[in-house]
Amino acid sequence: MDASFLDLLMAQQEEVAEAEGGGGGIWVVADVVDGQVAPVTLEAIGAARTLADALGAYVYGVLLGDGVTDLAQPLYQAGADGVRVADHPSLASFGVEPYLKVLADLFEAEKPEVVMFGATPQGEELAPRLAQRMGGGLIEHVTAVTLDEATRTVQASVPIYGGEFFEILACPEARPQFLTIEPGAFPEPFMDPHRKGEPKTLEVEPVEPAVRVVGPAEGFEPPVVPLSQAPVIVAAGRQAGDFELVKRLAEALGAQVAGDRGARDAGWIGPDRIVDVRGVTVAPKVYIAVGIRGDTFHNAAIEGAGFILAIHPDADAPIFQVADLCIEGDPKEVVPALLEVLS
Amino acid sequence: MRVIVLMGRVLDPRGIVVNRRRGRIFVNVEEYIIQPADRCALEVALRVKDATGAEVVALPRGPLPDDDVLRQALATGADRAIYLTADKPYDDGAWTKVLVAAVERLGGADLILTGATTLDTGQGQLGPRLAEALGWPQVVDAWSAEVADGKVRAVLHRGGEYVAVEANLPAVVTVQPGAVKPRYPDGVRLINVYRGVGEVAEALETWPVADLVEVESLKPLLERRGQDFPPERERSVRLTGTVEEMARAAADALRERL
Repeated sequence: MDASFLDLLMAQQEEVAEAEGGGGGIWVVADVVDGQVAPVTLEAIGAARTLADALGAYVYGVLLGDGVTDLAQPLYQAGADGVRVADHPSLASFGVEPYLKVLADLFEAEKPEVVMFGATPQGEELAPRLAQRMGGGLIEHVTAVTLDEATRTVQASVPIYGGEFFEILACPEARPQFLTIEPGAFPEPFMDPHRKGEPKTLEVEPVEPAVRVVGPAEGFEPPVVPLSQAPVIVAAGRQAGDFELVKRLAEALGAQVAGDRGARDAGWIGPDRIVDVRGVTVAPKVYIAVGIRGDTFHNAAIEGAGFILAIHPDADAPIFQVADLCIEGDPKEVVPALLEVLS
Repeated sequence: MRVIVLMGRVLDPRGIVVNRRRGRIFVNVEEYIIQPADRCALEVALRVKDATGAEVVALPRGPLPDDDVLRQALATGADRAIYLTADKPYDDGAWTKVLVAAVERLGGADLILTGATTLDTGQGQLGPRLAEALGWPQVVDAWSAEVADGKVRAVLHRGGEYVAVEANLPAVVTVQPGAVKPRYPDGVRLINVYRGVGEVAEALETWPVADLVEVESLKPLLERRGQDFPPERERSVRLTGTVEEMARAAADALRERL
């Protein structure tokens, strides 16, 4: 049997049919970024698919925007059984009230069981308002879901203190259950090229948004994040070799530049950039130590870091005992290679 | 003009240690701080007060076991603080009803400010929920906000750039943590508000939640079902291979975490 026949067979089987009458179901409101469905939406559909299979429910995607009808197919491929499209020039840019009107009308009619959004600026504005309007419970920044099948309740894990531990929350009685899904927390779903369907179009009544975008914020100076609160730090040490490379690495990662006492001695950094218990104690999400040997004072100052990558030529350098990931090598060779892979 | 600031407290994360292997949280120092984003919201409110002479009223963003947060707000420059005493822990959905009733009893407001997220749970639904319940416009995750000509102008970070937006008053604005540098409480006011001396102490009122709404109608929407711990951290993983292979592995690990 050749593969094209198999394709045909699968395609015939996978023509997606929607239940008539609606009611219930798991609904995912899509985020559209630069004319593409955002990855978080596909991840949410993947998660919704798993829940729906356990519940015996359907998964629906909702697309809002201008000229978004063509984007329905990725939603079908990711696992949606039905897609609703609100395609209207008034929805071209995001505004709370116009989007809310479409979604509220849709959900009033369809009575969803679970509604998912991406934990993006759009989802964070829409989800609480819809939850308040419809009397549902909302769990934000969900990173994992399980199902309480007896009561058809979703139990969702939420990171506490940025992921130190997780709290499991559930919305036992109020329906619909609203969730916002943290980007990158769920695996990318398998995109089945044979799943396809015909999206249904929604009527759109133009509504004026209450918040008007005036334009770029002129004269606004973004607040300077102090080193102690920086989310990503690239730090140089005596063995870094070329400080320009360290700066380029920091730029590529959107990180702040710092160093240990050796970098200060070399004149690369100012006194306010020394990572050390006698200088600045840091707690970034990611800390990259380039050529830092790691004395006790330095290692104590980076204890709060979420992830430490150390690059040092000496296999016995103490930094390797506290680092999560260790690269034993000359920073002058490793950093350019890293820059190349990252770009 | 009246500006309402919603403020809450959080257990200082510097005082807790999470043991992932044993699945336990050890609270070594039980010290509560004002939610960082709420402190920024108070600062934005005080700047509005400096510019327009508005009255700043502090309210709790959830049930509080004591009124320390509100005393701090008064010492920092708020004109009035109302301690809403509740006997049960209510979530944001139920507390929205309480706040709507409190705003009504205060005689309305022109601007409601609060933090965009909480430090511990990261939830930011209180602001938008309140905007929906009051039917006001909302500005979420603002980096700055100022009031002029019956409008609030704010700066948001959207699509990689900062944009200016404006909305008519009354409105709800939630402020990003770290958006502004909060001012310190005034020492004399701080002493007086705790000693109960002078105007600043009289500015603290206590309203029981039961007087504002029917307590039976306040049902929490969410419930806690336990805790979960991430796997224990594996330290000192050495990469091997050529420089390119090590760089690729390191880049993958970085991408996962950024």
